[in-house]
Order: sequence, then structure tokens, then C-alpha cells
Amino acid sequence: MEYVNPLTGFRVDGRRPNEMRQLKGEVGVVARADGSALFEMGNTRVIAAVYGPREVQNKGQQVNSKDALVRCEYRMADFSTGDRRRKPKGDRRSTEISLVIRQTMEASILTHLMPRSQIDIFVQVLQADGGTRAACINAATLALADAGIPMRDIVTSCSAGYLCSTPLLDLNYIEDSAGGPDVTVGFLTKMDKVTLLQMDAKLPMDTFETVMDLAIEGCKAIANYIREVLLENTRRLECQRG
Amino acid sequence: MVGLSEGEKHFIRGGIAQDLRTDGRRRLQFRAISVETGVIPQANGSARVRLGATEVIATVKAELGKPSILHPDKGKVSIFVDCSPTAAPMFEGRGSEEFSAELCVALQRCLLGGKSGAGAAIDLSSLIVVDGKVCWDLYIDGLVVSSDGNLLDALAAAIKVALSDTGIPKVNVSLSATTDEEPEVNVSDEEFLQFDTSSVPVIVTLTKVGKHYIVDATSEEESQMSSAVSVSVNRHGQIRGLTKRGGAGLDPSVIFDMISVAKHVSRQFISVLDSETLAAEAAE
Repeated sequence: MEYVNPLTGFRVDGRRPNEMRQLKGEVGVVARADGSALFEMGNTRVIAAVYGPREVQNKGQQVNSKDALVRCEYRMADFSTGDRRRKPKGDRRSTEISLVIRQTMEASILTHLMPRSQIDIFVQVLQADGGTRAACINAATLALADAGIPMRDIVTSCSAGYLCSTPLLDLNYIEDSAGGPDVTVGFLTKMDKVTLLQMDAKLPMDTFETVMDLAIEGCKAIANYIREVLLENTRRLECQRG
Repeated sequence: MVGLSEGEKHFIRGGIAQDLRTDGRRRLQFRAISVETGVIPQANGSARVRLGATEVIATVKAELGKPSILHPDKGKVSIFVDCSPTAAPMFEGRGSEEFSAELCVALQRCLLGGKSGAGAAIDLSSLIVVDGKVCWDLYIDGLVVSSDGNLLDALAAAIKVALSDTGIPKVNVSLSATTDEEPEVNVSDEEFLQFDTSSVPVIVTLTKVGKHYIVDATSEEESQMSSAVSVSVNRHGQIRGLTKRGGAGLDPSVIFDMISVAKHVSRQFISVLDSETLAAEAAE
């Protein structure tokens, strides 16, 4: 199967190699959560909800009394994949992604401002079409901003791959399943720091640098979009306040 | 969620006794309902229903499978419900399993009929492709995204809308000469069959608070309930299932009153839901 048309340079879904899927972000989708967001990257749809900062429920989990405890749970709906799959809660992949999201968000949240408290991030995947953990991180960032949690910077995440001798930005499910390398980057755009980096399959170092740079460019584009969404939301709140 | 104080509890019960609830509704009045179809493009049918601050997503997925030995001329339908932790932190981890199972069994009782398949909301014979060999397996999934009371009614409404949004691919069968071989099936990409959802019921839950009962209880009102009766009614006024929840006992005559009130209230609810469904499908 050809993932990049050699004549036209288009991908299977009609994108160019460095083109992102269509983004859509919406805040305030869960009424009773302190902060919530819906984020779509193409056909990947994710809902994130934030509860907190609130009192620590389980004292045993509190590492120290100087920082807030950040907890995260990642959940996939049974219907979210093309083939229906019933997974037990807390399977290995969900646990790993929960930990990844928690570490990525911890790097951004100013935990020292909220000692002895707990921030819960819940991420629910409604539809998966590749780039799921990147979409989860973007949704969690929007939800945290909606909840008013103080953060150093906006964390965004994007994946990139390498197929048919071409670096590709923002893989979809078909490209992800092709067996090529998949690089996922979490990025603090203003601080210019990487908070998440994952790669599977084989990749030479010089190609890896190219692919990683492409993913970072994707993160910056997503950060611009998220900033627009938050500005629009702030303007709407300002109008409501009168 | 912070607990209610004694004054708040008294206020809620007093308001219900005087037919004026905290959000201004009367006892037998639903919150505004909004419907959206086609929210999960990968599924055969999907719907999102918002009932006040309660929001649920229902999807229908169809797969080819083998019919049950007990009923070789009928397809199979399964219902699953999951409560997302985004709805409430108490659903985190395995916290939602008990509640999800309760909702799931209540929905199965109302929609799937008995063991014989009689009284099922969907004509199971229409799901047969080859008798005894190939049939459609329908998987109905409900997901609670935001929870503010009355989840059972919202889930049943979402499943009804999702079923009317469902398109099942048409299957062409070429039978081989030998009867015991697996038939060759060709799933069409163009032609789709749709369900007749006129018999699919909605669920109306009547929650008893003090000496009165209300429909479409919010979370605060549900916390004050002594018991609740959920009645599954279809468009023709037939009752397809009953479930009682809550610890307190109910007088039998009160139950009969509740059933007749549920039948009456469901008429308007079904017409509102149908018009919202048509509007959503037109907007899709």
C-alpha cells in the first residue's frame, strides 16, 4: 500500500506530509466538572474533565505536603475503536497512558501553589483514529485552563511518523498501523521544552531529528489553535459578565 | 459533590409538595432535551442526548456472527453501559461498575424482552442473514459523560435515537452447493437497511419524594428519594418493562397510579423526542 502518492505527494486522506488533521476544541462540555473540554483531531475525539483543586481523598497517595497531588485516569469507550473491544478497567495500556498524561501535566501545573490538595484529570476517548494520547494531552490542557488551574505554559502534543521515505505529521490510524516509526512529542511552546517523548520502531538518528522537529512544529500549531479557543472563551465570558 | 444541608433538604421536599421545584419545574415536567445524531462516525448509529446537565452518548455497532443455538432464526442484541469518570469522580477506576451494571440490567429488561426474544424492541428476525449460520450481532453501548440525575431515561432516549440513526449494510449471500459449508457473504458498501423504531420504548422514571412523585429528578432530588419506579412505554402505550429502585416500600395502589401517570407523561416525551430526532437527522 502506498501511504504517500509519489506523483502528487498526497497522503491517503488527501493531506500533504506536513499537514495536520482538522482540529476542533470546545470548553465547558461537562456541566458539573470544574473544567472540561472536548478535543477532536480528525476523527479522534476525546473528552477531558478536571476536578479540583480539592482536599486529598486518600492520604496515602500524598507524596509530600508542599505540592499538589496530580492524578489522571485515561479511559477508552468500548465503541471507540473500529472493531468493538471490551477492555477491563486499568489494563496495561490505559495505566501507561494515564501515567504519561499525569507526568506531562505535572510539568506544567504550578503544584507548589496548591499544597496538600488534589487535582483529578479524567480523560475519556470517544473515538480513536490514531494520535490518541496526543489528543488526550491537548484535551487535558484545555480542561485545566478551563478549570483555572495555574500553569507555566500550554502543553500540547503531536505525533509524527516516517513512511515511504517521507516524514509525516499527525498520523491517522491507517498510517499508524503501517508498522513505521511513531514519534509522540509533548511540548511547552513558550518555554521551548519537551515534556514527553516516545518513539517505537527503528529510525536512524538523523531521520529521527527530522521527524521530531516536524512533531514540534505540529505542537506549536496546536498551541496557537488552543490559545485561540481560550481567547474566544474568555471573550464570551467577558460579554456574559457585561 | 457537596452534601445537602438539612435546610436544603427541607426546601426541596417542601417545594415538591407545593408543585414548584428548585428549578421552577412542576412535578411532571421534564427538563429541556437536546438530541444530536451521528456523533461517532465509526459506529453504525450514534446519538448524544442532553437532558439538562445530564449528557449521555449511545452507539450501535453491527458485526456478523453466528446465531444462538436456541434461536437459529433470530439475531442477537447486547446492551452495555459505562459511566465515564468525567461525569463524577466517584466513577473513577472500578467505582462505576456497580451503578453501570444496575443501569445495564434495567435497560436490558426494557429493551430486549424475555429469553424467548418476544417483546423485544427490534424485530430480531430482521437481523438474520442465513438461518442458523450467519446473523447480525448488534452491540448497543451507552456512555454517561455528564451526570445530573435521571440517567436511565436519558440512556433509553439516546438508545432510541441511536437505533433510528442506525444503518445496517445489506448482505448478499451466495450459498455453496454443500449445505454444511460456511456461506460466502458480501457486505455492501452502498445499500443500508434501517430499523423501524416505532416500537422502541422510552423509559419514564417516577421518583417518590415525601408524599409525591416527580419525573426527571435531578441529582439533588434523587438524593431525597425514598423509591423510584421506572416504566418503559412505547408509542402505542404498551408497557415493556418495570423496575423499582430504592429501599423504601411502596403501596400497591401508588404503583398503579405511577404506571398510569408514566403512560400519560410518556406520550408528550415521545413526541418531543421524535421531533428532536427528526430535526437532528435533518441537521446532520
